[in-house]
Amino acid sequence: MTSKKKRKIVAMKIILDHIMPIPLASVQHNPESIWGSFVEINPGEKILLNASSGKGKSTFTLTTVGLRNDYTGEIRYDEQSIREFTPNNWAAMRREKITVVFQDLQLFPNLTVGENLLLKNSLHPVYSELEIRKLLERLDIDSKWDQQCALLSMGQQQRVAIIRAMCQPFELAILDEPFSHLDTENAKRALALIEDRCNEQGAGFVLTTLGETHNFTFDKELKL
Amino acid sequence: MLNKLLFKNQDKKQLVIAIIGAFMGITFLVTSIHYLIKLNEFGKGSDILGPNTVIVQKKVSNSSSLNLTKTDFTEREIEKIKRETFIKDVKPVISNNFDISFETADPMVPRFRTDVFIQTVDPTFLDVTPANWKWKEGDEFVPIILPREFLVMLNTFMSASNIPQISDDLAKDIQFKFALKDTIKKEYVNARIIGFTNEVSSILVPESFMEYGNKKFTTGAEMKITQLMISGKESEFGLVEELLNAKGLESKNAQMVVGRLKSVIGTLFIVVLGISVIAVFVSGLVFIQYMQLLISRNAYEVRTLLRIGFDPKVVSNSFFYYFVKIFGIVGFLGLSIFFVFKYFLDKMFETGGLFLDKQPSLTALFALIFTYVLFSFSSYITAKKGIYKQL
Repeated sequence: MTSKKKRKIVAMKIILDHIMPIPLASVQHNPESIWGSFVEINPGEKILLNASSGKGKSTFTLTTVGLRNDYTGEIRYDEQSIREFTPNNWAAMRREKITVVFQDLQLFPNLTVGENLLLKNSLHPVYSELEIRKLLERLDIDSKWDQQCALLSMGQQQRVAIIRAMCQPFELAILDEPFSHLDTENAKRALALIEDRCNEQGAGFVLTTLGETHNFTFDKELKL
Repeated sequence: MLNKLLFKNQDKKQLVIAIIGAFMGITFLVTSIHYLIKLNEFGKGSDILGPNTVIVQKKVSNSSSLNLTKTDFTEREIEKIKRETFIKDVKPVISNNFDISFETADPMVPRFRTDVFIQTVDPTFLDVTPANWKWKEGDEFVPIILPREFLVMLNTFMSASNIPQISDDLAKDIQFKFALKDTIKKEYVNARIIGFTNEVSSILVPESFMEYGNKKFTTGAEMKITQLMISGKESEFGLVEELLNAKGLESKNAQMVVGRLKSVIGTLFIVVLGISVIAVFVSGLVFIQYMQLLISRNAYEVRTLLRIGFDPKVVSNSFFYYFVKIFGIVGFLGLSIFFVFKYFLDKMFETGGLFLDKQPSLTALFALIFTYVLFSFSSYITAKKGIYKQL
């Protein structure tokens, strides 16, 4: 990762203004829950979103990045409601400002590991092929470059999905249970890689987990 | 890589069927339009009369020779013919009602003089520039259209006089004159040939000259309309022929043969054109359906591409360009096969005595471009709709 790829600290702030997903509206939420509250995600903040199953961690991810709109309240990126975003605005946002590791990973099973990563990197090239291979090496899956993603284990797929999310410039990474199939050592390595990449760009991240902190000191913890 | 992701794992059976259908449709579409145009143009320019025009008269029988039946046309008969749906226009052919002779008036050409029969037809039936087909008293010369057989006769005379024969173009430069006369007076009017006809046996003159002669030198005999000029609609010449038979009319056989031939071949190509249009339309629908199927089979891939930051336009353009390339290949193949067909068909028509213009018809090429644009436009809309639905 060269110095020219380092970005200035950016100022995109995300505000969840009394968001309530409609499917969760009838559920009694904890007073500390972000649902129905005013929440700010400030630039560069590293946030843990801790909740048990079924509380809406994936709903938070999909709603925040505009993939679900069945909610009340308002989400604003830099004072602009995301309901006003056009498909092209979203494409630019997902290409340059927000990156996501989906819980179901969303890899292309028929493409190889290398193809999955190069395809993403082609949108806004931040790495050379060699650098991408080095990232794979860091997570101990460099030997899988030519392997079809469909043939990888879940843990290996998770690591590919994490690296794919890093192959773009971003100001915020939303990571939806990205280590659920990783052992402690691999999770630690992956988290270190994410932190390095965020620090390079002055970006922040939101990590959703089932309670595991991975021995990381977060700036803020949110609950559902 | 995007193409590998979206198009590698597809069942191409339906695509192959659509490609074959479009290829055949386009080939026959271009071929049939080309030959319809060329057939329509056939005959144009070779004669100063329009290609679908015949001059008809009533058949002369023994009874008409004895004045028991009439050979002239009444206004009512003309109106009745005009009302037929396959008739474009009917106009009487007006003949001279005065004595007139025709002679050479050029020092380079030996004197040649003959009494002639002149006629005038409505200018809409003639392939002449209106500015060249007019005459008024005092004009330097009267423009005339000469029967080609007259030129043959003139050349026979030249040959017999040991003078070189003259071509069409040269004949147009020779000065002639008409002598109009009655029992008291005689007047000379210069004449110049502006064209030739195989279909009329008399010299054709502008209407104003005929009116002038008929008024100033009239013999006083009753004016009769014994010939009509009829123009039929394209591909319906068979009906014109039927009408002539039913009404006991006749025309020069050559005109009828060409008209009939054009009608038959024209009808054949219209049928082929109809089938081609249906084939192109159906294959277009199969292409669209195939694209919809391809998008829905790739719904996961499309959705994921959009989720990781691909512009919807980029994804829809991938589908659009894929099909545009296929249409391009189909169009190119169709055009190539058209030229192969054209080579053999032109040879076949020539063997049969039908010498059609060999230049590829621009309308046929425009039809190909139009089909390509239409296919491309519909695939653009389908791709855009399909991709934006996944958002």
